[in-house]
Amino acid sequence: MSPGRARLGAVAVALALLAGCAQAGANRAEPPPAAATTRPPPAAGGVDAARDFRSTRGYKATPVPVRLEIARIGVSAGMQRLGRAADGTVEVPEGPHKWDTAGWYAGGTRPGDPGSAVILGHVDSKRGPAVFFRLHELRKGDEIEVGRADGSAIRFTVERVAQYDKQRFPTDEVYYPTLTPALRLVTCGGEFDATVGHYRSNVIVFATLKP
Amino acid sequence: MRSRTGLVILAVSILTVAVACDRNSGDRSSSPTPTQTSGHPAEHGKVAAATSPKGLAAQLEQYYAQHTLLAVRQMRSVLTATPTYRQAADAELEEYTEELAQVVGGAFGEDQGERFEQIWQGSIIHFSGYAEAVAASDPAAKRQARSGLLADADAYGEWFAEVSDGRTRASEAAEVMRTHVEQLMEQADAYAARDYDQAYKTEREAYEHMFAAGSALAKAGLEPKEAAALDSPAGQLRAAFAMLLGEHMQLIIDTQRATFDGAPQFEAAAAQVNANTEALTKGMGAIVGPRKAEEFQSAWAEHVEGLLEYSTAVAGNDQAEKTAAREEMRGYGARLALYLSDVVRNELPLEPLTAALGEHDQHLVDQIDAYAAKRYDEAQEMELEGYEQMLGVADTILGALQKTVKPQLPVGGSQTGGGGTARRSR
Repeated sequence: MSPGRARLGAVAVALALLAGCAQAGANRAEPPPAAATTRPPPAAGGVDAARDFRSTRGYKATPVPVRLEIARIGVSAGMQRLGRAADGTVEVPEGPHKWDTAGWYAGGTRPGDPGSAVILGHVDSKRGPAVFFRLHELRKGDEIEVGRADGSAIRFTVERVAQYDKQRFPTDEVYYPTLTPALRLVTCGGEFDATVGHYRSNVIVFATLKP
Repeated sequence: MRSRTGLVILAVSILTVAVACDRNSGDRSSSPTPTQTSGHPAEHGKVAAATSPKGLAAQLEQYYAQHTLLAVRQMRSVLTATPTYRQAADAELEEYTEELAQVVGGAFGEDQGERFEQIWQGSIIHFSGYAEAVAASDPAAKRQARSGLLADADAYGEWFAEVSDGRTRASEAAEVMRTHVEQLMEQADAYAARDYDQAYKTEREAYEHMFAAGSALAKAGLEPKEAAALDSPAGQLRAAFAMLLGEHMQLIIDTQRATFDGAPQFEAAAAQVNANTEALTKGMGAIVGPRKAEEFQSAWAEHVEGLLEYSTAVAGNDQAEKTAAREEMRGYGARLALYLSDVVRNELPLEPLTAALGEHDQHLVDQIDAYAAKRYDEAQEMELEGYEQMLGVADTILGALQKTVKPQLPVGGSQTGGGGTARRSR
C-alpha cells in the first residue's frame, strides 16, 4: 500500500473516529454493514490441527564459553567472565592466572548466539608473552574453537585482523548487537607507552561462525 | 525518507482515540473497522520518494519482500483453482508492481523505473505461467515459463549493473534474481506435490532473500561510503529486526489462511511461525540478554497463540470462541507491550505501544474475517496495510531499543598489555 493512500485513509479514519466518539451510543445500535454479515463457511479442514497448536516456548540460553583453542598460534586457554569496570571500560583478565587466561565479555553475546561475542586476552606481562601474544599472526581462514560449559564446541573462521589506536577503538564493530553470529578477539598492540604502562593500540580479530 | 514512522504515530494516535471511544461504546472487535465499513479497499496511490538512504532501503526491502509473498499467494491461487482469490491476487500484484516501479523510478530516475517495471511485469506473467503449467501438469509449458523467468533474471542483472554505475556486475545481480525465481518455482512445485513443509519453508527463505535483495538495490545507487553506513551494525540490526517482525506478520497470515485448507497445510505454515519466533527470541537475546529473551518468548508465544485461536474460531464458525479469543488477545497484547516498554526503559510510553500492538492484531483479525467471507480484495488490502504497519512498529521499537544499547557498551579500548615485552621481543 502506498504511504499516500495510507495517510489519506488514516486521516479519514481519525476524523471519523473523532466525530464518531460523540455519537458512539447511537452508532452501536446500527446494523453491521452488508459485507460483515457474509457467513463464513462451515468448520474448515485445518481447525482440529489449529486447536492443537502451541507456540514454541522453553527458550534455552546458549551455554557460556569456558575454553578457547586456536591451533594456528598455539592458544589453549581457560576463560574468565568479564564485565564493565566502574569507568565504563571493559574489564580484562585478572588474578594469578591472568596472563594465561582469556576473558569473555559476559555483558554481550554468548559465542554462537546472534551478535558479536567478545573475548579478550593479554598480549604480554612484564616477564614475557601472554595468552594473545601471537594474536596478530592470525590470517583470513584460520580457525578458532570456543569450548562451552555443556561440553560442546563451536568454531569460527577469521575474516580479518586489524590494529586500531585505542582513542579510535571501533566500539560498534566490536560490541554492538547484530543478528549475525560472530566473534571478536581483542588484545593490545602497537607502541608501548612506558609513561602510562599501556600499549597505544588494540589488535582485533574479526571472525564469523563457521557453517 | 518514507513517511512510515509518521504513519505509525498517526495510527497510534487514531488507536488512542479509538480506544477512548471504546471505553464508552463497548467491544471494538464487534464494530467494523473503517475498511470493513467501506467494503472496498482504498485505491492505490502515488508512493512518496525516499529522502534518505535508510528510507530508500526500508522502502525497497518492504516492497521486494511483500511482492515475493504476493507472487507466492497468486501462484497458490492458481494451484488451488480459486478464481475469485486469484482475481484479487492478480489485481494486488499488478498494483503493487506499479508502486514498486515508482519507488525504483524515484531512486534511479523515471526511465530506469519504466525499464524495471517492464522486467518485473514480464516475470509476473512468467510466474503465473509456471503455476498454470504446474497445475496442468504440462512439462513443456513449465520449461517455457522457467526459460522466461531465467531470461528475466538476466535482464534484471543487466539493469542492476547499469543503475549501480558498474559497481555491481550484471552476473552477480542476475544470480540474486535467479535464486528468487528458482525459489518461487520450487515452492509452487512443492505445494502442488503436497509437500507443504517444503513449500512454506521455501516461501520463508524467498521472503528473506528478497528482503536482502531490496537492501542491495538501495545500496547499488549509493557512493561506497553511504552504502557502508547502511551496513553499519546499527543498520544491520534495523534491517534484521524489520525483516523478522514483518515475516511474523506474513507467516501468521499464511497460517490463518491455511486453517481453511487442511491439517498438513496448517502444520507446515505453523512450523514456520515457530521458526520465526525462535529467530526473533534469539535476536532479542542479542540485545537484552538470555533471561529477558526467555520472558520475551513467553509473552510472544501468548500473542501468537491468541491470533491463531481467533482464526481457529473463525474457521470453526464459532462466535463465542471468537469473542473469547479477542478478549484474550487484548490481555496478551497488554502484557507484550508492558514487556517491551520495560526493556526499552520507558523510551516508548506504554499506552501508544499497546495501541500499536492492538492495531497489529486488528489487521490480522480483519484480514482473516475478510478471507473467511471470501472478500479477498479486502483480505489482501489488510495484508498490505498490516505489513506496512508492522514494519513501522518494528522501526519504532528498534529505535527505542537502540537508544538503550549504546550507553551500555564498554567505552574505548582494552588495557590488555602488561609490560611492553611483546613489543621488545618482536
